[in-house]
Amino acid sequence: VEYVSGKVLFTTYSDLNMLKKLKSAERLFLLIKKLLPFTAASLSKGKILNEVQQLVHNDPRSWLDAVSIWRNLLKLDVNREEFSQRDANPLKRKMRENEGVIAKKLKTEEMQKIEENHKEYQLEEQTEDTLEQRESTMRRDKLEKEEIQKEVEKAAGAHSQEDLTFRVSCRCSGAIGKVFTAQEVGRIIGIALMKQFGWKADLRNPNLEIYVHLNDIYTVAGIPLFRVPLASRTYIKTAGLRSTIAWAMASLAEIKVGTFVLDPMCGLGTILLEAAKEWPDGYYVGADVSDSQLLGAWDNLKAAGLNDKIELLKVSVIELPLPSESVDIIISDIPFGKKFKIGKDIKTILQEMERIALRRLPLTLILSLPERFIRPPPHALAVFAHSVHCRYSSVGWQTMKEQAHGVIADRDWYGAGNKIG
Amino acid sequence: MKLLTHNLLSSHVRGVGPRGFPLRLQATEVRVNPVEFNPDFVARMIPKVEWAALLEAADTLNLAEVPREPTEGYEHDEDFLRKMHHVLLEVEVLEGTLQCPESGRLFPISRGIPNMLLNDEETET
Repeated sequence: VEYVSGKVLFTTYSDLNMLKKLKSAERLFLLIKKLLPFTAASLSKGKILNEVQQLVHNDPRSWLDAVSIWRNLLKLDVNREEFSQRDANPLKRKMRENEGVIAKKLKTEEMQKIEENHKEYQLEEQTEDTLEQRESTMRRDKLEKEEIQKEVEKAAGAHSQEDLTFRVSCRCSGAIGKVFTAQEVGRIIGIALMKQFGWKADLRNPNLEIYVHLNDIYTVAGIPLFRVPLASRTYIKTAGLRSTIAWAMASLAEIKVGTFVLDPMCGLGTILLEAAKEWPDGYYVGADVSDSQLLGAWDNLKAAGLNDKIELLKVSVIELPLPSESVDIIISDIPFGKKFKIGKDIKTILQEMERIALRRLPLTLILSLPERFIRPPPHALAVFAHSVHCRYSSVGWQTMKEQAHGVIADRDWYGAGNKIG
Repeated sequence: MKLLTHNLLSSHVRGVGPRGFPLRLQATEVRVNPVEFNPDFVARMIPKVEWAALLEAADTLNLAEVPREPTEGYEHDEDFLRKMHHVLLEVEVLEGTLQCPESGRLFPISRGIPNMLLNDEETET
């Protein structure tokens, strides 16, 4: 596993079904190529464009291999869906089509290179027919069904490489971003692909999406493995906090059987949903002062089938009707900024949290505050900090990191101008 | 609101302190849901249960077969654990009230969610 800023690169034998379960990543791609960045400074513009073209022409094998692995993965996924749908209780799942959601603030893209294609099922040639036969026995959200059918038809339908339609999406940042626009680079790659493989470009509805990202660390090209970002959960109807962050916070909390987990400002309940989904043996309670938020949370719980796992209370975080030292874990995304007016001193909130928490047990907060408000309670073991509205002296930040048991988000995590939740 | 949750809630009306527990339960709508039985989970909850409060609430709801106290070696007593599982997790108060035993203040329960917001005069701070 290799971790660079914003990306995790890893190899695996898992199929799409397993990969769908990745919780801390925004998106997942199948890696085509990974290179050290083009030295933008030393080469002329023309030379660099040539290098970009060579991404394709120097190594067509990588591209073809990746496409073939991608196709196989999709076929395998559909087949497995068939088998599992028959036995499982038909669950109503909602898939959100909105690819525009891939926000620029996306922070972890996972890249995957499959070294060996692990085929567990016999691949059927007539995948489309099989789908039709079983359609009547399956209850599914119609949109999702069509999605998957389309994917397979597209992948399988393009019987030869020449039938494949594609689109290149490109991102350029760092040194190379100063010299080229994403469109320029994307175009060059697109043309190279057309020349090399005879594929046709289709900007509206391609079979194959190619993502290329050039920055100061790597130049990478990959194929997105899912239409919808991983962060867009099938079990969350309306997300509040980004699901990947919510999951990460919950995983820091080390929830065990019977752990009493409270989110005293739960909003739509995203953190509790992620936690209860992954660690169903905890005892989860969410609290909020807002009727509309609680209603949204209740809807979310119902849609996720988790309303037996998570209790809701309409209470105020500074007046929690709980005895002192009664809660094992508190996880919260504290509302801040102009969007939410909490009108309460953060200190009071922290004090109340301290009161109800069992001593020396984790207090996981997500914060955005000027440094003077940050005195993590002695038993605050994990603190998130978001630095846009804070000016931490490097010493202050260091001290806090030392006090914290785990810091998931380093100050650079979110980059400039981005807010959490 | 499950009885496990009721067992934890206490009134925060000004001046009430520890006399704000337990909240007197009154229910106009109750629902019983089957919930998957996890013996480990129930076993871990038992030491945290305030028994008097639980029994009072269970009696108000006319629940039958409620154990009066933990049995010896309860962690392995499946019968006991199942009964506790039922009482703590499967009975849901959808509509009703919770009353502060000291001040008399009523907190409504609506759609299963207790509203325990206090207005300014009532808060401790």
